Amino acid sequence: MILPVLDPKLALPFPKAALPVLRNAQLRKNVAHATDVITGKRARLVAEKHDWQALREAASAVRTHVLENLGPYLEQFEERCTAAGGVVHWAADAAEAREIVLAILREEQASEVIKIKTMTSAEIQLNPFLAQHGVEAHETDLAEIILQLGHDEPSHIVVPALHVNRSQVREIFARTMGLPDLSDDPQALTAAARNYLRKMFLTVPTAISGANFLIAETGGVAVVESEGNGRMCLTLPRTMVTLAGIEKVIPRYRDLEIMLQVLARSATGERMNPYTSLWTGVTSGDGPQRFHVVLLDNGRSDILGHERERQTLKCIRCAACMNACPVYRQTGGHAYGSVYPGPIGAILTPQLMKMEYAQSLPFASSLCGACYEVCPVKINIPEVLINLRAKVTDQEREEERRFFDPLYLGLRMASKVFANAGRFRAAQRMMRIGMKAFTGKDGWIRSLPGYGARWTMTRDLRGAPEQTFREWWAGRASGKVKA
Amino acid sequence: MSAPGSRSAVLDRIRAATAGGAAAAGSYAALPRTYNTQGELSAGQRVALLIERLREYDADVAECAPDALIATIAAQIGRSGLRVLVAPQGLPKEWMVAGCDWRVDHNLSHDQIEQAQGVVTAATCAVAESGTIVLHHTPAEGRRVLTLLPDWHLCVLRASQVVETLPEYFAHCEAPPALATFISGPSATADIEMTRIKGVHGPRFLNVIVVRD
Repeated sequence: MILPVLDPKLALPFPKAALPVLRNAQLRKNVAHATDVITGKRARLVAEKHDWQALREAASAVRTHVLENLGPYLEQFEERCTAAGGVVHWAADAAEAREIVLAILREEQASEVIKIKTMTSAEIQLNPFLAQHGVEAHETDLAEIILQLGHDEPSHIVVPALHVNRSQVREIFARTMGLPDLSDDPQALTAAARNYLRKMFLTVPTAISGANFLIAETGGVAVVESEGNGRMCLTLPRTMVTLAGIEKVIPRYRDLEIMLQVLARSATGERMNPYTSLWTGVTSGDGPQRFHVVLLDNGRSDILGHERERQTLKCIRCAACMNACPVYRQTGGHAYGSVYPGPIGAILTPQLMKMEYAQSLPFASSLCGACYEVCPVKINIPEVLINLRAKVTDQEREEERRFFDPLYLGLRMASKVFANAGRFRAAQRMMRIGMKAFTGKDGWIRSLPGYGARWTMTRDLRGAPEQTFREWWAGRASGKVKA
Repeated sequence: MSAPGSRSAVLDRIRAATAGGAAAAGSYAALPRTYNTQGELSAGQRVALLIERLREYDADVAECAPDALIATIAAQIGRSGLRVLVAPQGLPKEWMVAGCDWRVDHNLSHDQIEQAQGVVTAATCAVAESGTIVLHHTPAEGRRVLTLLPDWHLCVLRASQVVETLPEYFAHCEAPPALATFISGPSATADIEMTRIKGVHGPRFLNVIVVRD
């Protein structure tokens, strides 16, 4: 098995990374099955919700409003959370966030830590960093355990192991949990995970979580989940560390009435997820008595500064866009080379990387718009994809070594040709003569040499017609019209 | 513990990025909220919908008159065959029916709670549309751990606590709670081939009694 690389600095460009996946029939079947099931459930539950568009509109407006006023809301969150007994930390980048978390764990003398699924921790590559410094991180979400024990990487942000089927899970659990007689029944596999984790929940005194929402009004944190592993981690330990992107804040408690309604339906096709937990700082006698929040920037404030791309940060990580995406549904998540795959990953990842890495991702889309249609906070992903494509192209054009690149050479020539009617007509005539040799009897070109092969490798091309529209138009006036 | 400069550096970058943004107070009030904030069902229909939704989650639901509550609690516990139960500190004494070994939560340890077979609690609210029970962890609802470790949870609701839509719950909240848990059916996962499996880490069995008050 080739290990997927989810570090955008190291990952192959999307078309190259996608190739092995496209040849893996089992993986494509697993991804297709999972995305079919979720999109079907989501569609049924959205259809029954008559105020769905009004909810999307409201969700979009709240998220936009937060981003426009992010500074004051974060300060309010900090103030209220601190007043309730929490400690708020600010991390400018991934390295700083990792150091902050490690320092807290050192203070707790923690040699191991239990974790609620958090994509943000995967973004800052926290687990390998902690391992290097002698702290073992135990994932507790079922999908995350499958990946951790199987030395695999997430391929989806809501169901991270959707590319793994039951017999593969059985193999991983049987081997790593020492259960040779385990069956591949999902019920039995789930029970095995329950037993495996129970003792850990009761004994490991330190936990790390992400956050679905930070509430500015109260300083509270909300975590949305299904299994109850989240509740275990945020209730039983002595110390809790929450890692959250700075964009996760919402103004008031009441705004959850919008967010929870759109999130569950979009993410898993449920009217409501089994468990949503909300806590505010520290509560005497109930839950962790030490609580830290790490607010992570890591490129987000850069995105905020680009007005047309700012909407990327409205995302509430429901993954509806990837389930709906015709590209993601073929490749799954690993090809994106980032913990954030699919359409949202294609716009988020290169921007988090300040457009220095992952430049192939904005092109991994057919611009069909399915992602925009299902997005519960109305992020116009196709629009952002096009903006980012323009940025990537501008970057490329500026590179010195690209000066003699046939593509840019051709485009520079084309711009000269298109600027002058005489040159344009001459080019058309030359084109007609030049292409004749490659055009079949039926008028189609199936194979071109050299640079042209890039086109004909995957599609046919119409041969040049005998007459252009302008020639026909001019001929019409003089009576020499061809049929 | 963060580098002292990071807070101001991040906030400065945010301020620079959002310069010219609207003032928070004014624009928040103007946000569009044209979604349903009011249900349409009668009280009876509301409870019926809640019960239907809870049963879709495989919850065991009973309805009873106020004077039949104690008998109904006894019947639900009796059918479960469980004996060792924990009770939140503020649970009405009469709900602790005879024949069980009740452990009242005067700072029970996690191990003691883990060893109990079930828990009985009250609730703050229930949302019919999504079959959601809301706990604010009041003395009758118990600390969060009480409704987490035991495998069996019996929750007693009054019909007057049932609202139809989620926004109605928020409208009823006088002040935001410091702690809240929203429970929609027993713990579940669909991580393996999207097959829904009940009971991963939270209670595997959810029981609800709705008292017609």
